[in-house]
Amino acid sequence: MQKILVWDWPVRVGHWLMAGAFCLAWLTADSESYRLVHVFAGAVVLGVASFRLPWGFIGTRYARFVEFVRGPLSVRDYLAGLLRLDPAHHVGHNPAGGWAIVLLLGLGIVTALAGWATYNEIGGHLLEELHEGLATTMLLVVIVHLAGVFSGSLLHGENLVRAMFTGKKQGHADEAIASARPLALVALLLWLAAAGWLVAS
Amino acid sequence: MRSLSILGLLLISLNSHAAPLSPPAQRGEAFFHQRFAVNDKMPACTACHTDNPLKPGQHAITGKTIQPLAVSANGERFSDPAKVEKWFGRNCKEVVGRACTADEKADFVAYMREVR
Ligand code: HEM
Ligand code: HEM
Repeated sequence: MQKILVWDWPVRVGHWLMAGAFCLAWLTADSESYRLVHVFAGAVVLGVASFRLPWGFIGTRYARFVEFVRGPLSVRDYLAGLLRLDPAHHVGHNPAGGWAIVLLLGLGIVTALAGWATYNEIGGHLLEELHEGLATTMLLVVIVHLAGVFSGSLLHGENLVRAMFTGKKQGHADEAIASARPLALVALLLWLAAAGWLVAS
Repeated sequence: MRSLSILGLLLISLNSHAAPLSPPAQRGEAFFHQRFAVNDKMPACTACHTDNPLKPGQHAITGKTIQPLAVSANGERFSDPAKVEKWFGRNCKEVVGRACTADEKADFVAYMREVR
């Protein structure tokens, strides 16, 4: 076992942009002074999440949904291992984390779309409430996500937060991804600029 | 002749403005126009709602149109208590710098119901 590259650039930069933007959107949510900041932060969440969907099919090995979206049995086995304080190690995402990811991406998209509709006065009071409810649901999933990241890190003795920065985790040399895909990162940033511009106009 | 008809119009318009406001509504009017200057971009209610609550306003930061606050211009206003409380909660905190008191809110609503 050695340190190998598993997370490509779009996954890592997208992750931290989404995490930062989510926190910012949350902090500015009930302020009219910061309404534009809120809208832009929400647009970043929407931009990252909507980029991540196709990247889950055409991205590098561990970024693909087929690699980490597992059936309920694998999730149960992983969580049972977690309870025994001996969870199975996965080079990519673990099965429970995989579902948190799907939920976070989905909630990021629908929350932001509901917010965008409210901002443009489409959908009225109902969408306004929906936007708030979805955002709260997403916050709960983020908390579960963080609990999973920290418990997983402790029990595997592997700092998963640092891995999300460096892209490197424990694995065999032949399990590494070949490239961190810098060009796809440029595409992500262009996509975010476009999303920001679209929301602002 | 011309000046006479202008005078007449002036009198009519003065008269229609002169519908007397009750004392609570007058206090509400003063509150609506008061400059709190707590927030640079939104020093008073009028920063977004304009001096005339019968007219649509414009959000001081996003530039979005805001429907009139006066009930006579916008029948939906003050019909949903939860919405009313939400906006008092948000905007009192940011414009006045504190929560509004129950009296302030009652006066404000009285003004918006009476003004026409
Ligand atoms: C400071 C807070 C956060 C930390 C420390 C953190 C940490 C991590 C880590 C370590 C992983 C990899 C998990 C694994 O190896 O199985 C991960 C994945 C992920 N996290 Fe977070 N996270 C945070 C906040 C968030 C927030 C706020 C969101 C969404 C709004 C989010 C969405 C995701 C997603 C979508 C993935 C999968 C990444 C991918 O494959 O593209 N995270 N996170
Ligand atoms: C996923 C990202 C987002 C999160 C987590 C989020 C969260 C929230 C929350 C919690 C509120 C309720 C605030 C309150 O009343 O206390 C809110 C309100 C609002 N959000 Fe978002 N939001 C997001 C994205 C967006 C986007 C993309 C837009 C617009 C393009 C937007 C526009 C608004 C508007 C206009 C309101 C005020 C609605 C009202 O009048 O009650 N949000 N947001």
